[in-house]
Amino acid sequence: MSRITIDPVTRIEGHLRIDVEVNGGRVANAWSSGQMFRGIERILQGRDPRDAWLFTQRFCGVCTTVHAIASVRAVENALGLEVPLNAQYIRNLIIAAHALHDHIVHFYHLSALDWVDVVSALKADPAKAATLAESLSDWPNNNRLQLKAVQDRVKGFVEAGQLGIFTNGYWGHPAMKLPPEVNLLAVAHYLEALEYQRRANQVVAILGSKTPNIQNLAVGGVANAINLDNEATLNMKKLYQVKDLLDGMMAFVEKVYFPDICAVGAMYADWFNYGKGVPNYLAVPDLPLDGKGTQFDLPGGTIMNGDLSTIREIKSFEDPYFKDNVAECIARSWYDGDWTKHPWDESTDPKYGEWQDDGKYSWIKAPRFNGEVVQVGPLAQVLVGVALKHEPTVRWAMKTLETAGKIAGAQLSPAILHSTLGRHAARMIRTAVIGEVALKHWQLLIENIKKGDVSIYNKPEFKGEQRGFGFHEAPRGTLSHWVVIRDGKIANYQAVVPSTWNAGPRDDKGRMGPYEASLVGNPVANPELPLEVLRTVHSFDPCIACAIHTLDPEGQEIARVKAL
Amino acid sequence: MIRVLGLGNVLMSDDGFGPFVVEHLLARYEFGADVVVIDVGTPGLDLTPYLGDAAAVIIVDTVKSQGAPGELRLYRKAQLLRHPPQPRTSPHDPGLSDALFALTLAGTDPGEVLLVGAIPEHVGMGSRLSPALQAAVEPAALEVVTELRRLGATVRVREPQAEVRPWWIAGREHVDS
Repeated sequence: MSRITIDPVTRIEGHLRIDVEVNGGRVANAWSSGQMFRGIERILQGRDPRDAWLFTQRFCGVCTTVHAIASVRAVENALGLEVPLNAQYIRNLIIAAHALHDHIVHFYHLSALDWVDVVSALKADPAKAATLAESLSDWPNNNRLQLKAVQDRVKGFVEAGQLGIFTNGYWGHPAMKLPPEVNLLAVAHYLEALEYQRRANQVVAILGSKTPNIQNLAVGGVANAINLDNEATLNMKKLYQVKDLLDGMMAFVEKVYFPDICAVGAMYADWFNYGKGVPNYLAVPDLPLDGKGTQFDLPGGTIMNGDLSTIREIKSFEDPYFKDNVAECIARSWYDGDWTKHPWDESTDPKYGEWQDDGKYSWIKAPRFNGEVVQVGPLAQVLVGVALKHEPTVRWAMKTLETAGKIAGAQLSPAILHSTLGRHAARMIRTAVIGEVALKHWQLLIENIKKGDVSIYNKPEFKGEQRGFGFHEAPRGTLSHWVVIRDGKIANYQAVVPSTWNAGPRDDKGRMGPYEASLVGNPVANPELPLEVLRTVHSFDPCIACAIHTLDPEGQEIARVKAL
Repeated sequence: MIRVLGLGNVLMSDDGFGPFVVEHLLARYEFGADVVVIDVGTPGLDLTPYLGDAAAVIIVDTVKSQGAPGELRLYRKAQLLRHPPQPRTSPHDPGLSDALFALTLAGTDPGEVLLVGAIPEHVGMGSRLSPALQAAVEPAALEVVTELRRLGATVRVREPQAEVRPWWIAGREHVDS
């Protein structure tokens, strides 16, 4: 039995630590731990609820807009405040652009190098790579000349000893299996994805008036004045810019991201057998179609035990099935006590102790839904969509399984989605669905404005005690903010974030969180190079070090992986 | 185009140094159309769009280094690229060198990079800087201005001087108030 600790000491504090015990080349036990106290909500106490979103947007530098959206929804829910349709559509477009951006960055820039051996791309025949690419997609940049140019660039880097970003990849690892041509295509798309990251960012900048921290929200609506003929406001020209950018993103998703996922899935098909973990799923509905949040373009609900027939839908911003069933347990977390409480009743009293395998070992609380451990994220979103027969989700899911199956020469059933690679496939499926639906919301916004409706804001009214919750189905999964307001000031504020649902520790009953459970049974070929552990952890797109950013330009600390 | 980027979290005391310097610069100076000054928070890998296709980028952040809190350290691109990026578990790990490497490979990296770093004293929840870091805000801003002038950008001292009032301390005006 050996023990591996992956503990990236790249900053003062605040990151995800993963410990696994390996026996006979398989993970036998696992622990997921947040290494930073996340009591950041306390900074909101006593503040004006209308400002909360500006602060919550700083909880996390990657998920800025999602915390802003959840916050205004929570305060609006507390006040029973409806928002104008225009405000809803503008928010929806920002939500969609952010999700497109986030998912593309995750696959190409964070996790692709878990599967792609960059050095192997140097051995590829660019002509063969182009022929292979043409069989999957008509993306114009997959031609022999452009692929050759990418290969030459990488070669130049390697020869100059500048491999840089890639030097920490696990090249030559026995778990790397793609042929050189596929590796070359993946590297080319890694570079191209940088451009699409920029474009999605532009959509958020146009609508949110600034990025990465948007400025256009308000409790009660948005601050984007609308006048289609005025240069200074949201006008036709800006709206068409948004449409062009969204169209371009969608093309990249269909013609690059989709075939890449199908190819990686087909060539690593054994990874559909690992990483199932906790097959209970939670997703909330999003992209509301009315001011109150009673109709949505993306469905929400719960699925238990991987059985789609157990689907129970979450139907509105008020739904008691969600409101009454979220709780957090601190039995194994570094807080004072061992309670399980509803977010409105929680406190955040840190009590740091030593790491104890059988005791407390994380700053993350363990959220539970209706008493159950649940997994959130794109896989939950896609499975809930399939269970509720959401047309775009079903269509993209089937298309993905068919295409990957064709490349693999095997029949792939939806059951394979409960896995490490299934989470990557689901993320792409969700991205494609959001890309389509975003264009619909663009159309809805234009039609509504053309009807003469230019309203963007309803005034909030505060009195006595008001409690509310706001949820948002963020790229990484279900996010909820919970607020108690007294006489116009915040009395309590709690955020239950997606990575808390997934990265949370064991609970009072000893049940593992989703990361932990998904690691058990994972293969590990070489404990010194635990690539397979990173594959499963990355498939969730972890985002827990949500706060700080001290740089280490002198590179003093490099110890991250410890195998005992 | 020259970008000045303040990195860090304004809710985590000294970690908010970069955004504090940005607020200071915007209150005290006026910049030509070729200069963009932004507080980018803690974007991790999402930093890339702010680095790409710029003639020069000046970054202000806290840094790990031997020395007393508030001391400034300057780094150029070659120094930032010397230490390869490390395996990540999350997209947050600062990502500056990752972003620079990726853009260099894509051929869209900024022409010049200067990192103005301050050694932090205390990083933990809170919206104000420790005294040592507060005292470093003006010297760091001067480093930025000096670099901008060296690069030939237009920078003028604002007359009259505006008060430095970061929203996370001073609050903000509301649409309906």
